[in-house]
Amino acid sequence: MLKTNSNVAIDKNVIQEASKPEPAKTKQFVDNEYCEVKVENLNFFYGSVQALFNVSVKVQEKGVAALIGPSGCGKSTFLRVLNRMNDLIPGTRLEGKVSIHGENIYAPNTDVVNLRKKVGMVFQHPNPFPKSIFDNIAYGPRIDGLKDKAVLSEIVETSLKGAALWDEVKDRLNEPALALSGGQQQRLCIARALAVKPRILLMDEPTSAIDPIATQRIEDLIRDLCTDYTIIIVTHNMQQAARISDYTGFFLQGEMIEWGKTSGLFTNPEDQRTEDYITGRFG
Amino acid sequence: MASITEKAMRAIFIFCGLAIILFLVGILYILLSNSMPGLIELGLGPFFAVDRWNPGAYGEPTYSLLNMIYGTLMVTLGALIFAVPVGVAAAAYLAEIASPWEREFFKPIVEILAGVPSVVLVFFGLVVLAPLIARAFNLNSGLNAFNGALLVGIMALPTIITLAEDAITAVPKEYRHASLALGGTRWQTIWKITIPAAFSGITASAMLGMGRAIGETMTVLMVTGNMVARPESFLDSVRTLSAGIAIDIGDVVFNSIHFHALFVAGLLLFLITFAVNLLADILIQRKPEVSK
Repeated sequence: MLKTNSNVAIDKNVIQEASKPEPAKTKQFVDNEYCEVKVENLNFFYGSVQALFNVSVKVQEKGVAALIGPSGCGKSTFLRVLNRMNDLIPGTRLEGKVSIHGENIYAPNTDVVNLRKKVGMVFQHPNPFPKSIFDNIAYGPRIDGLKDKAVLSEIVETSLKGAALWDEVKDRLNEPALALSGGQQQRLCIARALAVKPRILLMDEPTSAIDPIATQRIEDLIRDLCTDYTIIIVTHNMQQAARISDYTGFFLQGEMIEWGKTSGLFTNPEDQRTEDYITGRFG
Repeated sequence: MASITEKAMRAIFIFCGLAIILFLVGILYILLSNSMPGLIELGLGPFFAVDRWNPGAYGEPTYSLLNMIYGTLMVTLGALIFAVPVGVAAAAYLAEIASPWEREFFKPIVEILAGVPSVVLVFFGLVVLAPLIARAFNLNSGLNAFNGALLVGIMALPTIITLAEDAITAVPKEYRHASLALGGTRWQTIWKITIPAAFSGITASAMLGMGRAIGETMTVLMVTGNMVARPESFLDSVRTLSAGIAIDIGDVVFNSIHFHALFVAGLLLFLITFAVNLLADILIQRKPEVSK
């Protein structure tokens, strides 16, 4: 374990020297404007290994923000910072400030359970519970204390409609969710997240385990949802980022190299490394 | 030459494997052949009649196992009522809550508990539990079904904890993450997702714990008070089937009806344990479904 850590650290240094001639610029937000997600000078560590370096970014309300970059660049780590799922990994540490809706989510008095209700998450692999379709969707509202069957049914219906799954499953809500296809399972997981009525949806490569046709349905769904939710999506697939996102952030070696409007970033990147990545010179 | 050694080795190993089956079949044969004369002589009825176990009576000896079946059921079910919640909670603690060093500390203790000879546990039942129970319920003696159930429960705990922990650990972590990401607390996640997902394994652990409890002899013999009267409550003294056999088998007249009646009790125990273990096995085979 220790050995791997030091290797990684050495590796990182070497690459940084090679690929980062100018010193890291520290962004400062002087304004105090309200925004959905505001990250300032974020450093993140797994034990002694630093995974994120001085990341600063502001995400506006609604719309889709995509995070791209090669494997191990820290984009998933960054995503899990936003709903504090990294807390589950022992030995992680964070420096800097992460605010959602103006509140510092790493303040000592933060209610993580409440945060996660506000910031929903969809995972890389569809992970429905081994329960019925209905019980999967109703899980979030139920643990929130909702018992009224009629209200629950309504939430289940709206959530499934919201995830464009209702027509396919409305006649078999009591069947096991695991009997659905992979693409349907992923939309079920999106519906399950919607049932908690979050304001932000984090998606960690939600289509990487799914066939192309199901992927397209989910991409369409993401475009539909982004009128009501702020969606931050990690994707391996640059075309996907270009297709569905309004803003794109490019991560490399734990740094956010560039952040900007998707149209601009893909046609006219400011940073040479971004251009190299999106034109396929590496990654 | 090499192939002959090869074949000989193979034969030896096969024989050892088959020996297990041989033992099982042999035991079943002995039980059946020795209980048959009793069953033929008396029929099944008298063994389950509402009557007493009094094989030594002048004139009309009676062979009803009913009160001992009650005793066995009370000790076994009582043990499970105590051991299943405690065992599953301990397993959930080990699998979900304990930090790595806490786990390192507790797991060997569970194994040591499993290795304590049951006779030694009896000391605890006699010296500690019995006076406590007697005082708490204002009884003359604390040697009763309750005492036996507690001790047998303690003995079943390691089985239940180990197997239930395996079952809980086998639940994919994706389920937990999904629950936590939906704003579930750790407690809600354990209670509503992890334990239900591990349900078949946990049931199997309870079943195997029960298998251990049913057959337990020495403990229940010494701490349950050994009364063959029909028990009215958990605070009455009872005698279990296994204790009944152990007590009588030493001085029974060989090949008498009494002798064969004891084998009927043994056969009954065998069948119950067999059924329980079979059920547990079926449940263990039913792995939790995992999404692909």
